[in-house]
Amino acid sequence: MLKSKTFVKKTRSGRVMKIVREHYLRDDIWCGSEACDECKQESTVLQQEACIESNLCSYPHYLIPDTNVVLHQIDVLGDPVIRNVIILQTVLQEVRHRSAPVYKRLKDIMHEKEKHFYTFTNEHHRETFIEREPGESANDRNDRAIRVAARWYSQHLKTPKSSTDGLKVVLLTNDQGNKQKAEDSGLLVYKCEEYIKSLIANPDLMDRLALSSDDKNEITSSKVLFPEHLPLSRIQTGIKSGSFLQGTFRASRDNYLEATVFVQGEGEDSTEVLIQGLQDLNRAVHQDVVAVQLLPRNQWVAPSSVVLQDEGTAKDDDIEEEEEEKVLRISAHEAARKPTGKVVGIIKRNWRPFCGMLNVSQIKESTRHLFTPADRRIPRIRIETRQASTLAGQRIMVAIDGWPKDSRYPNGHFVRSLGSAGEKDTEEEVLLLEHDVPHQAFSQAVLSFLPKMPWAITPEDMVRREDLRHLTVCSVDPPGCTDIDDALHCRDLENGNLEVGVHIADVSHFIRPGNALDKEAASRGTTVYLCGKRIDMVPELLSSNLCSLRSNVERLTFSCIWEMNHKAEILKTRFTKSVINSKASLTYAEAQMRIDDATKNDSITKSLRGLNKLAKILKRQRIEKGALTLSSMEVRFHMDSETHDPIDLQTKELMETNSMVEEFMLLANISVAQKIYDEFAECALLRKHPPPPPSNYDILLKAAKSKDVEIHTDSAKALADSLDVARVDGFPYFNTLLRILATRCMMQAVYFCSGMDSDFHHYGLASPIYTHFTSPIRRYADIIVHRLLAAAIGADSTYPDLMDKHKQSALCINLNYRHKMAQYAQRASVSFHTQLFFKNRGIVNEEGFVLFVRKNAIIVLIPKFGLEGTVFFDTKDKTAPNLVFDEEGPTLNVEQHTFHIFDKVKVTISLDDSNIQHQKIRMALIDPVIPGVSVPAPDIEPQAKKPKLD
Amino acid sequence: MAAVQVSEAEKVYILHGIRDDLRVDGRGCEDYRHMEIETDVVSNTDGSAKVTLGHTAVLVGVKAEIGKPRPAVPNEGYLEFFVDCSANATPEFEGRGGEELGTELSNTLYKVFNNKHSVNLKSLCISAGEHCWVLYVDVLLLQCDGNLYDAISIAVKAALFNTKIPQVHISTDDEGGKEIELSDDPYDCMRLNVENVPCIVTMCKVGRRHVVDVTLQEKACSVASLIISVTHKGIVTCVRKVGGGSLDPESIFEMTEAGKRVGKALHAPLMTLLQQEEDLGKARQKVGFLG
Repeated sequence: MLKSKTFVKKTRSGRVMKIVREHYLRDDIWCGSEACDECKQESTVLQQEACIESNLCSYPHYLIPDTNVVLHQIDVLGDPVIRNVIILQTVLQEVRHRSAPVYKRLKDIMHEKEKHFYTFTNEHHRETFIEREPGESANDRNDRAIRVAARWYSQHLKTPKSSTDGLKVVLLTNDQGNKQKAEDSGLLVYKCEEYIKSLIANPDLMDRLALSSDDKNEITSSKVLFPEHLPLSRIQTGIKSGSFLQGTFRASRDNYLEATVFVQGEGEDSTEVLIQGLQDLNRAVHQDVVAVQLLPRNQWVAPSSVVLQDEGTAKDDDIEEEEEEKVLRISAHEAARKPTGKVVGIIKRNWRPFCGMLNVSQIKESTRHLFTPADRRIPRIRIETRQASTLAGQRIMVAIDGWPKDSRYPNGHFVRSLGSAGEKDTEEEVLLLEHDVPHQAFSQAVLSFLPKMPWAITPEDMVRREDLRHLTVCSVDPPGCTDIDDALHCRDLENGNLEVGVHIADVSHFIRPGNALDKEAASRGTTVYLCGKRIDMVPELLSSNLCSLRSNVERLTFSCIWEMNHKAEILKTRFTKSVINSKASLTYAEAQMRIDDATKNDSITKSLRGLNKLAKILKRQRIEKGALTLSSMEVRFHMDSETHDPIDLQTKELMETNSMVEEFMLLANISVAQKIYDEFAECALLRKHPPPPPSNYDILLKAAKSKDVEIHTDSAKALADSLDVARVDGFPYFNTLLRILATRCMMQAVYFCSGMDSDFHHYGLASPIYTHFTSPIRRYADIIVHRLLAAAIGADSTYPDLMDKHKQSALCINLNYRHKMAQYAQRASVSFHTQLFFKNRGIVNEEGFVLFVRKNAIIVLIPKFGLEGTVFFDTKDKTAPNLVFDEEGPTLNVEQHTFHIFDKVKVTISLDDSNIQHQKIRMALIDPVIPGVSVPAPDIEPQAKKPKLD
Repeated sequence: MAAVQVSEAEKVYILHGIRDDLRVDGRGCEDYRHMEIETDVVSNTDGSAKVTLGHTAVLVGVKAEIGKPRPAVPNEGYLEFFVDCSANATPEFEGRGGEELGTELSNTLYKVFNNKHSVNLKSLCISAGEHCWVLYVDVLLLQCDGNLYDAISIAVKAALFNTKIPQVHISTDDEGGKEIELSDDPYDCMRLNVENVPCIVTMCKVGRRHVVDVTLQEKACSVASLIISVTHKGIVTCVRKVGGGSLDPESIFEMTEAGKRVGKALHAPLMTLLQQEEDLGKARQKVGFLG
């Protein structure tokens, strides 16, 4: 049966279009219930014994939530207790339209078999489709559609002969009008709160209920604290006319009364608008997309340098605030003033569940508590819970439900507990969540695209592949590596030249474009390595088995094979899909030993020696071209095998074989980059590293100058050369320190689509073009590059998204973001493990070097631990010592001692756990001794657990 | 125009019949053939109608689009006409064969309908001088069996009656920038007042008689024809002589009078019919093109 749906739409150019869509109705849409013998369905989703124990419904029943219930109470629906739920298509579509994150969660829930969530396509069902009536709003129509479907279900389930078990459907809605209408038409309907409250044996579900707007009045005083947000239509006209600006709200980390709004301009010109004061911040939360109105120029202010943290318990009144705000406004120099504005409306909320801890209310019986998020940029959230005493001291997750204009804090609800604060697992979870690293187990939908085990190479696989199983291929990786994505070989050719092959796991063979597995990998972007834990980008079956190039198994690979002469000049390059059988998986140390051991002469060792020889030449050539060798401290923890606590720290050692593998990976990446760019000039995915702006080098130049060393930064080559010759007698560590500083001056390397950019240069590697090809198991960019290369050599077909530069550009943005977050998460993990380490160690004395000099502190690097810490000289509770900061040096005079960059100092290191949410490494000065500033060495005073300096 | 060859004997037969007010198909001189009207036949137009008159069939669709008012009349919208002589109608239209006729028809329709006396053009104005509704009236000839003008004019009137223009609101912001906002309710739309929309009556002089709604055979016997557009009140808004042949002033006057009479009688049943169809609402059984 055919119906048509008609609606009118305004196009972007301001034209009005009438759009007609055909809408087919069918009568073969089944109800999905086990209890039904009328529908000719093959498999059922909803159980016959649909029992959720409830005071209200003592009979088996199915739940039908309406759109708002799904949108707001997704946390409740996600609970394992809630089963046998019918999600109507109307609801699903509305949810998708209104909130992408909720939609994704709902889809995930529906994929879980044990949840028994059934999607009923009521919009295409002949008996449940309704047309919009004249005078009916779209929402009313949808509500009616939901009621009609609910009624259909209740009648449909009544008909089967087995009606004795009295299966019923329960409609959940929070809308009073809808509920009334549903009751009038004889449906079973409850408010979500009512229903959840009635559930026996699940009182904790109550806490996860989002606060609905009905309850708002009792929570807060009626005093209006914030100006009203403008409706979206006014905002849009305002933005069009230029009276408002649209931008991303970025709260300040240090000052809760200050924020900036980043306004993306056309091309390069982006501006930042400063926002100060609670009123002007107007309930915007970090990362929201907001509309701001600029204040008149005479009200512009300068960003304050004061550190302000929202402290104190649940102050609902704003008396104190006003004082704090005054503090902000005093020191506004005319010149330092920045464009200042106020938030007039929210275009898009970017709320996610936040990690943090509960501040238990002083009043014992109170169920309302404030929650302090771990991220300082997020305001505190008021939640309601009955389990405050259990939750105290735990890391919990809370979601924001809304921020009424008469409430000082946003309202939220408890989502779940992550565990006790300070525990390793809990903290790991927190840092993954806070860095937005997707780390849930892979969903069923994703896993369904994995190859079936046992897996073997089939003749079809071999059609476009070269058989390289006879070659002596081996892999060299760090110890304990299970996701081996590269292997190498080198052999002599008859013509006296050498053949070198880099074989990369053919992940794109298993991950086909567009399926759930591909989408998940694209969204994860990268595998994240934490200390002692790995969060995979692709399921383990692929990462550690089918794609991992382990020794003595046949694996599919993508090979890049060069013919080289003995001067490491490339004579021929070819790419092919292949099959290899790795002869050995070595660690760097093992490979090194084989090369060094003159008695060994087997084919693997010979191959390694050949590779090593070529790699040395390649490296020299690269450095001659101006590639930078920079340094950063990488540390490795020795873990206790039982407790997984770090027992020792060690900076990573680099061996010749490390650089051997690296050289060939670089070479492969460059060769592939050239090939895909030649083939697809518009849509090659490349990686670039922009040269840093000259001002970035200031700190490096100043630091070098203080030791009478000159550094040239005109080009990468000049920088590399001058770093090579920079030496100070009697200070062997100086060169490393300089390189560490130089690393800090660099820009981030980024992925980009060749059609959207013109500058391809990779500054650090001194290569005109570069991409990532060699680690497809752990980086999604490499998978795309594999697909491009496969299309280029005709080994695989292409697909539209691959050739769409805008889509690819969007993908690059995600990949860059995930990469950055993965790095931050990695760093956070290292620093957490460092904390654990020092927690176990107690207080330690160490020697270190001054890395930076700041106005009120010095930053000290401890080479032994690769640890950096700050020694503050001014504290709140003590009279500050006489500090003179000279920006030119830069030097800092504390009383009579002057600190320069690279000074050797001695410090005590200890863990400050006074703030359980933000544990920190504290450093205090021992040597040089400055009276009133330095502390005595702690072994004389072992009880000084708490550091003296704040 | 599509024409048929008629033999002398046939001609005499037709002429004699008409002289006695008894035409070949049994009609009188001022009778129309059987007419069928259906509105809302093309869902992606804003208004449409299909009219069959004998074997003549035309389809008219109205699309409303936002445009700029003509500078001379800033507070009025306007209508545009396009007549597509499909080769389905007659093989003669194949290629560019129908072009000349199409232009002639659309020019005439433009003259007859695009004036403020037939359609309230002011109601099509959205904001004076900036935005107005432009109604694109597309006429498709499906089959030609004479008397195209009358069939088209009735179809245009029915389609205009059926036209639903989405309701728009003009919102102004502080700086005076205007923004068109659409109502999100598809039922919230504006209807046109078609009361004054005229119908065209084509009068043919056959022998000494003035005949309406001629078939192709009768047309072949006619000396000359005159089109007269008449409103429901019997006001003649346009008279035009089409085709070859000549007429003496006396018969022009007589033909106008006859046309006035016929046209006036045509409006009332047409309007009742359209209203009846409209009132059926969703209960109406659609016939479409295969019915």
